[in-house]
Amino acid sequence: MSTRRPLIALVAAALVVMTAAGCGTGASNSTSGSAGTVKKGGILNIGTTSGIDSLNPFIAIESQAYNAFVMEYPQLVQYGPGIKLEGDWATSWKVSNGGKTYTFHLKPGGKWSDGVPLTAEDAAWTGNTIIKYKDGASAVLAAALTHVKDMQAPNPTTLVVNYDQPVGNALPQLEQFWVLPKHVWDKQVGNNGKDLKTYRPEQHLPTVAAGPYTITSYAEKGTTVFKPNPYFYGPKSNAAAVALTYYTNSTSMIADLQAGTVDFVDQVPFDAASSVKNSGTFNVDEGAGAEVTNITFNSNPAKPKNRELLDPKVKEALEYATNRQQIAKTVFQGFAFPWANLISKQSQGAGWVNPAVKPLPYDIAKANQILDGLGYMRGSNGIREVPATTGKYAQPAHQMSYDMMVPTSLDFSGQREFDIIANDWAKIGVKINFQNGGDSQQAYAIETAGNYTKFDMALWDWVGYIDPDFMLSVLTRPQWFSWSDTGYSNPAYDAEYIKQGTLTDFKQRQALVWKMEQQAYDQRQYIQLVNEELVTANAKSWTGFYPQLGAYCKCYYTSPHQS
Amino acid sequence: MSSGPPDQIVPLNEANVVVGPDAPAEIAVGPRSLMRTVLLENRAAMIGTIILVVTTLIAIFAGVLAPHSTTEQIGPVYAPPSSKWWLGLDDGGVDMLSQMIYGARISMIVGFAGAAVAMIIGGGVGIVSGYFGGRTDIALMRITDYFLVIPDVPLMIVFAAVFGRSLLNIIIIIGIIYWTSTARLIRAQIKSVRERVYVKRAQSLGAGHNRLIWKHVMPQVVPLLVANTVLTIATAIFAETYIAFLGLSDPTKSSWGRLIQNSLSGGAIFHNAWWAVVPPGLAVTVVILACTMVGQALEDAMNPRLKVGHLSVRRFRVRPFSARLDTR
Amino acid sequence: MRGADYVVKRSIFALVTVWVAVTLNFILFRLLPGSSVSGLRCQACTPQFKEALIKEYGLDKSKWQQYVTYLGNLLHGDLGYSQVNNIPVWDAIKEPILNTLPMVLVGTLISVVLGVFCGILAAWRRGTLTADKLNTWTALAFYAAPTQWLGLLVVFYVAANLGLPVAGIRSPDLGILSTPSTWEVVSDRARHLILPALTLGIGLYGEYAIVVRSSMLETLGEDYVLTARAKGLANWQIIWKHGLRNAMLPLVTLLALSVGYIVAGAIVVEDVFSYPGIGLATIDAIDHRDYAVLQGIFLVLTIAVIFSNFVADLLYFKLDPRVTT
Repeated sequence: MSTRRPLIALVAAALVVMTAAGCGTGASNSTSGSAGTVKKGGILNIGTTSGIDSLNPFIAIESQAYNAFVMEYPQLVQYGPGIKLEGDWATSWKVSNGGKTYTFHLKPGGKWSDGVPLTAEDAAWTGNTIIKYKDGASAVLAAALTHVKDMQAPNPTTLVVNYDQPVGNALPQLEQFWVLPKHVWDKQVGNNGKDLKTYRPEQHLPTVAAGPYTITSYAEKGTTVFKPNPYFYGPKSNAAAVALTYYTNSTSMIADLQAGTVDFVDQVPFDAASSVKNSGTFNVDEGAGAEVTNITFNSNPAKPKNRELLDPKVKEALEYATNRQQIAKTVFQGFAFPWANLISKQSQGAGWVNPAVKPLPYDIAKANQILDGLGYMRGSNGIREVPATTGKYAQPAHQMSYDMMVPTSLDFSGQREFDIIANDWAKIGVKINFQNGGDSQQAYAIETAGNYTKFDMALWDWVGYIDPDFMLSVLTRPQWFSWSDTGYSNPAYDAEYIKQGTLTDFKQRQALVWKMEQQAYDQRQYIQLVNEELVTANAKSWTGFYPQLGAYCKCYYTSPHQS
Repeated sequence: MSSGPPDQIVPLNEANVVVGPDAPAEIAVGPRSLMRTVLLENRAAMIGTIILVVTTLIAIFAGVLAPHSTTEQIGPVYAPPSSKWWLGLDDGGVDMLSQMIYGARISMIVGFAGAAVAMIIGGGVGIVSGYFGGRTDIALMRITDYFLVIPDVPLMIVFAAVFGRSLLNIIIIIGIIYWTSTARLIRAQIKSVRERVYVKRAQSLGAGHNRLIWKHVMPQVVPLLVANTVLTIATAIFAETYIAFLGLSDPTKSSWGRLIQNSLSGGAIFHNAWWAVVPPGLAVTVVILACTMVGQALEDAMNPRLKVGHLSVRRFRVRPFSARLDTR
Repeated sequence: MRGADYVVKRSIFALVTVWVAVTLNFILFRLLPGSSVSGLRCQACTPQFKEALIKEYGLDKSKWQQYVTYLGNLLHGDLGYSQVNNIPVWDAIKEPILNTLPMVLVGTLISVVLGVFCGILAAWRRGTLTADKLNTWTALAFYAAPTQWLGLLVVFYVAANLGLPVAGIRSPDLGILSTPSTWEVVSDRARHLILPALTLGIGLYGEYAIVVRSSMLETLGEDYVLTARAKGLANWQIIWKHGLRNAMLPLVTLLALSVGYIVAGAIVVEDVFSYPGIGLATIDAIDHRDYAVLQGIFLVLTIAVIFSNFVADLLYFKLDPRVTT
């Protein structure tokens, strides 16, 4: 179930009131559950249909691997109840030097699971190493440290992070920064950093971790075991161990949930969600996820063929002819809702979702009217024809018939979504052909082929973060060949993107972000379709879950306990 | 005895008859009337023929027969069978009956076309090998033997993974994997026909190879080729379900194999939607049984040698099968 | 000598077949247009990156040189390197193979036992509606049914009633909090293995049933059997002494010949039951387009099949005096 973003969806839980007594994270430092009554012990069995592809943070792609890193490694800050950033390892921080220096005070007394003390030096080393090899081995992790100049550890419980310019979203970015054990990893920087990618923590179990868990047993296609780290600085695990088991298909995972082998499924597949919900034997939680599916259009201004697809007006017609309700109802079996913004609903509570960006209604007549107005008339076979053009990108008259690339790695049925869109677009004289995209990497290769000149459109999705920075960045020119999937290139937009990152005043940044969202919507590099919901289910024999927090919080694994 | 490689050391496989000398398979009556007799007299073969004819008709007239679209949602997800939709709906609220009908088309196309490719390659190799004998025969049969031993499904997976997924590719892949049994069978038949007097006489009268093959040899071989092709259809349909299940089929063409795959990936089981699980597999099973009944009845009638006891290890075509369907 | 000569001939044939398979493997993955580069994993996919990769894997050398290197590596037991998993191919497929073996063995055992039993029953009560016709046609229907579909039916109708696990190879929490006893490990493994093995068994028993039935039929009609019956031998004695013995030869050779089909069945059965064996590894390799692993799996399976064919030939030769060199 790999999607384009490595992190599992974090749910917009801003409005959800946490009933239990806090999440037990760093700053609040409360214990989970009603004090004294928490039943300790037992093995928490979690089922997943996407495995941990690697325990090496420099090469892992799949979301479950990132969950594992949250559980293994200290973070300076993390999300707590109410999707608010709070300290994890850091107890407090202060900003100085005009927003260019962040000083974190760290909890003392933590140790790595092998007994070596955890100090600020570990954090400084990890940060500086990532920065040093950011164009090579550590590129995957470097996004979290954009604009960071260096990190220093003046004493074991103080970390200083220096930026080369003031940054508006320093804390949300640092939330994605994991502290690795220096005494293990500093032997792996040979070969100009390349060895960072070849080291295999899975061959040296148990892993050396300073978070609440170490991994004692690992199997990509089997069970990975998390055991509590006795030296963890925060609230310790209620379960005696957490076992994450991979399933090749949802059918067998749900069968095991029903049989009691699995206690918790943190992303119930859409096809299973309604039956799990209706069975009444589980606690089921639904909330808006971070994943938004879209139709991705090649937006490279230098695209040589089918240039009518660069015209926002044409894409507006296509949007009118797209039935989001039916997609939500059929493809996602009701566990999704229509959405039009590049930024997912999870960011709404934090104020990053422009309320003016709304999906167009499903209106075939209106769509036909727009295309008629553009002079694209239907040919004898019912498909519209685009007249010949002149100039630099001259193209002969051609039919509105396009390939739509669909990757196989989607977490929903891409074929079904395609069928719905193809049926509707046929009604406005636009024909689309199914093109199989392969897995994520193959599909991305199709999009980037020939410097973004070969593909027309794709059916895909994005999983963003709470902070809008990342999702705004995917439309910039510098993201070509790394995260850009549209080939969009607009210097004015790129300048705005850089500017929003430096605005430290919330209102100012919000205004600019909203403006950029509106621009993206008007340009329609994507037609956003629906925002997926995140459905979790747990056996009633366990309680204390924080499904809305996703694995952004260490309490995600530490808090659940037997009821 | 004929020339060519010694029969006794060819590996024990496929239609490879280890026992006894090459007993000539004399076809006493004309091939066409023979086929008719077999189909009329053998009840199982008759039922099989009816099933195949009906399925083929369904495949041809899918457009007329299917009550609904195979892509459009017409009701709630996994709606059970009712008077509105006799076979219920699938995970996308799409009519199962219509998909079964169109699935018949794709499955039968794969079956017929795949078998045809196998027949052309295998028949060609068999004829050339059996007719010309000598070094050609040795070389071709060696190649056949090697391909016979390489496991079909892994090879199919490799082919499909390398060449990409399209209906045409799958047909070609099936054809080039299953030609070997046909080649062996036809070669044996040709060799025995060739030895027969009238071919020799025709040869001595100065007829060319072409004329000999088409005029005298082919009529004796064609019925067997037909029987073999019918059996290969079953293999092809079976193989397609494997390819589809491994996600290597054409994603835009819904076959029975894909419907089986879809019932797993769409979670039909925990919706208790037996109507999405049972029909496609049942259809495959019935059609394969039908092909086997017809093909084997024909083959047995035309090539009595194959009936020589249980020691003649030969296959059920879908998978190895050492005995025939003893339906009489 | 008859025996030695035959063994040598069959060994040479087996070795040449392996070579053909290896060469086919090379041709498919390296020689076909575009396949060498499209088969490469490249994460950034910039032209320079691709070029570097091509150099690293020796794809810039002539095809002939590549072929020689490939053969040389194989001779040293080097199946190549999985760029997707960053480990040698052998390491990627070793464990799956070891997982698959017991499941396949139990499945084959089920199919043989079921086949022999049904075959004997059908032959003994020849012509009866239930014991012969229904029995035989059921066996044939199971045999003609796609194995993956049988697996789904087992999950659907059997698993829930028996309370057996339908996924994985071991209980997730086995051995986490305490060291399990050998018995616990074995019984846990057996519980997970039984449903996939059962699926494989009922999918394949048909052919054994048919073989046993027809060979029993032939023997049971013979004079000496009739004599034995007249002498008052018990039914099971007649079946055992005369019928089944006769059926052993085709049964054993058939078993060796079926390895390819057992493998094929195992691939799809493992997918249904999330059983982490060679089938799941194959599907994973397909999904990630890990051609190196796919090649490795193909080679290993092919060699297994060639070897079992070789064994079948030898068995047949030993058991049937009519086969000559």
